[in-house]
Amino acid sequence: MRVAKSAPVPRRPIHYVGIILSLVIIGAYFTLPFVIQPERGPSTVAVLTESKKANELGLFKTGLELIPLAALGILLLGVWNVIAPAASRAISLLMSVAGLLVVVYYINFFRDTPLGPPNEWGEGSILGSLDIAFWIMLVAGILAVLQIAIPRALPDERYRITKLFGNQESVILFGLLFLIFIVGIANPRFLQERNISDILQGNAYIAVAALGMTMVIVTGNIDISVGSLVGLLAVISGRLVVAGAPSPIAWLIPLFIGAGIGGFIGFLVAYLRIPSIVVTLGMLSIIKGILIIWTAGERVTDMPADYHLSQMRPLGIPMPIIIMVLLTIVVVLWMRYSATGRAFYALGGNAEAARLSGLSQRRLLMTVFTLNGVFVGIASVMYSTQFQIIQVTPPPALELSIITASVVGGVSILGGTGTAIGSTLATLLLNFIRSAMIFINVSPFWLKAVQGLLILATVLADLIRRRRQRL
Amino acid sequence: MQETTPAPRNPTVSEKLRRLIISQEGVLFLIMLASVLFLATRTDKFLTVDNLLQQGRFMTEIGLIAIPMTYIIITGGIDLSVGSILGLAAIVLGWTWQELGFPLELAIITAIISGTVAGFVNGLFIVRVGVPPLIMTLATLALYRGLAEGISEARSARGYPEWFFQLGQGEFLGIPTQLWLLIFAVIIFGIVLARTRLGRALYAIGNNETGARFSGLTVNRHLLFIYTFSGFMSAVAGYIFVSRVSTTRSDMGTGMELDVIAAVVLGGTSIFGGAGSVPGTIIGVVLIQLLKNGLVLAGVTSDATIVVIGSVLIFAILVNNFIQSRRGEG
Amino acid sequence: MNKTLAITLILALFLALVVMPLSADGHERWDGSDELDVNPLECMGAEMMDDDGDMEEMDMPEYDGGMVAMGDSMAGMDIVVVDVPKLIGIGYFAATTLGQQQAAEELGNVSVSTDGPTDANIDDQIQIIDSYITQGVDGILFAANDPVAIAPVLRKALEAGIHVVGYDANSEPDAREWFVNQAEFNGIGKALIDSLVSQKGEDASFGIVTSTFTTPNQARWVSEMWAYADKCFPDLDWLETLEAQEDAGLSFQQAQTLINKYGEDLDGIIALTSVATPASADAVNQADVCEDVAVTGLGLPNAMRPYISSGCVQEVYLWNPVDLGYAAVYILRAVIDGEFQPGDSSVMAGRLGELMVVNGSEVLLGPPFAFTAENVDDFDF
Repeated sequence: MRVAKSAPVPRRPIHYVGIILSLVIIGAYFTLPFVIQPERGPSTVAVLTESKKANELGLFKTGLELIPLAALGILLLGVWNVIAPAASRAISLLMSVAGLLVVVYYINFFRDTPLGPPNEWGEGSILGSLDIAFWIMLVAGILAVLQIAIPRALPDERYRITKLFGNQESVILFGLLFLIFIVGIANPRFLQERNISDILQGNAYIAVAALGMTMVIVTGNIDISVGSLVGLLAVISGRLVVAGAPSPIAWLIPLFIGAGIGGFIGFLVAYLRIPSIVVTLGMLSIIKGILIIWTAGERVTDMPADYHLSQMRPLGIPMPIIIMVLLTIVVVLWMRYSATGRAFYALGGNAEAARLSGLSQRRLLMTVFTLNGVFVGIASVMYSTQFQIIQVTPPPALELSIITASVVGGVSILGGTGTAIGSTLATLLLNFIRSAMIFINVSPFWLKAVQGLLILATVLADLIRRRRQRL
Repeated sequence: MQETTPAPRNPTVSEKLRRLIISQEGVLFLIMLASVLFLATRTDKFLTVDNLLQQGRFMTEIGLIAIPMTYIIITGGIDLSVGSILGLAAIVLGWTWQELGFPLELAIITAIISGTVAGFVNGLFIVRVGVPPLIMTLATLALYRGLAEGISEARSARGYPEWFFQLGQGEFLGIPTQLWLLIFAVIIFGIVLARTRLGRALYAIGNNETGARFSGLTVNRHLLFIYTFSGFMSAVAGYIFVSRVSTTRSDMGTGMELDVIAAVVLGGTSIFGGAGSVPGTIIGVVLIQLLKNGLVLAGVTSDATIVVIGSVLIFAILVNNFIQSRRGEG
Repeated sequence: MNKTLAITLILALFLALVVMPLSADGHERWDGSDELDVNPLECMGAEMMDDDGDMEEMDMPEYDGGMVAMGDSMAGMDIVVVDVPKLIGIGYFAATTLGQQQAAEELGNVSVSTDGPTDANIDDQIQIIDSYITQGVDGILFAANDPVAIAPVLRKALEAGIHVVGYDANSEPDAREWFVNQAEFNGIGKALIDSLVSQKGEDASFGIVTSTFTTPNQARWVSEMWAYADKCFPDLDWLETLEAQEDAGLSFQQAQTLINKYGEDLDGIIALTSVATPASADAVNQADVCEDVAVTGLGLPNAMRPYISSGCVQEVYLWNPVDLGYAAVYILRAVIDGEFQPGDSSVMAGRLGELMVVNGSEVLLGPPFAFTAENVDDFDF
């Protein structure tokens, strides 16, 4: 609703500084060490520690000073935005904090504060732990992106601390940070760079599928068939490449087939007026049946080495994370600023109004389901290229994970509200929860129950926020 | 169209019949009849009393849960946690009996109460806190399944006394015991929906919730009731299921919510609320069950069977849409 | 009023949130026992006992399988058999189906078809078997999703004069005639623990990735592993058992979680499904800790070949699923022909030769087979 109501504040270049700075920071963090010691690869933590021990950091020769400088920039920009009238204060505040953390971290690092192993806090500053840098930077980056993605408060609105929870996205973000913080204290190994990046990587395909689902739900529809479709498209992609197709073809074909199937669903929904839940319930079993008849359970193996898109690490960043972040940004901007994207909200919010405003409802529905098919295609390729073998059975109840991510991310099932960034953050939150519960030794039998409670808690937090806003 | 020419010989009866046939349920019933006849020509094992009664036994759990699901969907809500409530009730039954040493009768009652409470909690959050039903029940889908796992600690309870199996495996007057239960439930709750104030209130809520509120309906109380009812029926179904398969496992009923919803929407209940009926839902349940069974008997394997069922689901709604829109124009 | 209620509900929720994990004290071990007896084998190295010799010394237990209702003898006649595995559409049961087809082709007078649920769902499996009883097949092969739940419908089949033989996952003994046991639970338990100990020593610490806590076979393997380790290697450190369904992605993530959570403290991962083992190996491989973390478990050679060839995994165990399906068909044929009756101590199964009867009414396929770098290329399933 906020999206539809609040008048967008005119954007000045200053708003984009955050993004640029965060790109600098993350870029520097990942590439510079690679420049210093190429033979060690882009594994930042190890390289930095090693360089520091050997006194060969060569600060000004290597450009590493860019990181603290950019962090300082983020800090100042955040502070400025808090004071400025037309900015989202919650995000700005968080951004300043993140910037501050990065700066302090590097001060610690360069001042030679002892860097005890992460689980022995006593030996050094909390920020002395190199692993922490990874997620601080990630957060700083996300926040900078949010600066432009999240609707601003109107200029005349008074500053209130409750604005911290100005929307579902920040509720989830806070939940995520809180979780990481608490679990990190209980078991610092949770904060290892590898763990954080493993969780992001392993669930990126769910986040991508949830982007498509978000668009579908925003228009007031739903797609239950995505789980089977991911399985089918993954096998198609794998079989293609095994049959000798070049990898890029095998990556692209599923997108087209996904678009085709999505378009077919859209046709049934838009032109034959069958409710989407019925169509996709039917498609769920049809696709699943076809998949089993076709493959008879034969897993796909012997893919060529260059097929494994998800295992690639350009600039040292795992490919799934890059795809997830890029697509999230694209979808957020597209849904917010393009005519079609805005029309989706109109369609979900009030189909009649959308019709009157001259938008072809049918074409919009076709578009949204086709797009969803494309996103499912991307997700399926990310899924199929993760391992050396492709199991033909898609993860059980994958559609439920995807739908849960979308709705927890603030997409109202009745349509009309919600943003892509919320669904991505919610995917991360849900999967961080799953992993975190293991790290703090929740009894294995109660894992699922605790997950359910936390989902509920997230939803309730959002409701409390809405109540407050209404008061 | 020609039949609608004025002055038919017996206007009331034929008009009524016509209306019945081209109603949602009528069309669906014809589709079911066609499927049954088709399957009967493919195999002589299908259309036998024994086989049909056996299928009645198998569909009882889904049928029982589909009734409150119809109510809920008519109000424009949804309950995704039914499968998990079934699992939770099954586990509570086994656990209280085996671990806590309850008498079995008390364990059954405890299980049904706990399922009812689970449904009540859904309803409470939905009406009092205002959580949208889909989100609430998505969360409790995970939560109740988790509770079942946590309570059971992956142990199963088995070795029940003989009388316990009467409901799930026995017969009464030649008909599977649980099928009686389903028949009574369908009749009673069918009438409740079609002929009582409660039923009319549910349609009113589904058509226009705000309007229903302003016209003085106690919307919250109705909603609370149907979600509690859904929990209760899921728990009863859980008890029947345990009695039928003679063991409890925490993963019982996984994925059942989609089967139930498929049957309900196949039965002509509008997912947007405001329309639907219990007879339609039961025809949906029966149609799916008979297809599952008949296709196997006709030599179709189950991977192809689910393709057929998926297609029938879409096709049936398509045909119904077409006919209803024609009727609307006529 | 509304607000107070909401706040109370939320407080209760968070209270529950805190209390639940604590009340479970976080370190409960899952021993998979489910009140069934365990029977650990002799320790590794304690005089290599000849398994077969051991069997013969024991008193042969009475036949405890079910009896089929008397009907016309089908000996030598063409029979129609249906195979109902736990689910269709996965590699493992595709392999058993292959073996069944091979056996049917060799025998010439058996026609076997496979049909099963599309999810590992207890109820769907029961309904499918029931439909086939109605259809009137001569024999049913099954791999049970739940030993108790499937029993009533199998008894119904026996009463209808249909011969019933299980494989892979058992039912209650009296609900079927014979069960082809791919490898005894205690044999698997011993093999996996021995494999870990020989790679990482008697005080190794390890985690387990399983399908679900309620899957009967996996639960029995874990309980036999516990029993064997308690008896022979009490110093082994059991870190944690994680559920991963039959899901490659989740198995991969769970293995990563073990690696990240325990770091250097983790010496090994035992994976108990044919999906989890390659996924765990992939996780270890991608985390570049092949040297530090030994992966062992149950795995199919085709799926494990990349990891075994690269040296990241030393060995995995499994029976040959093709042989398992093959033996099931031969045994069903022998039962129908009257060549294999209660009380017999062995049965001939085509190319597999003579298979021994154990535990009353089970036919043992053989000890679990170890796939290593030397032999992994010799298999194709």
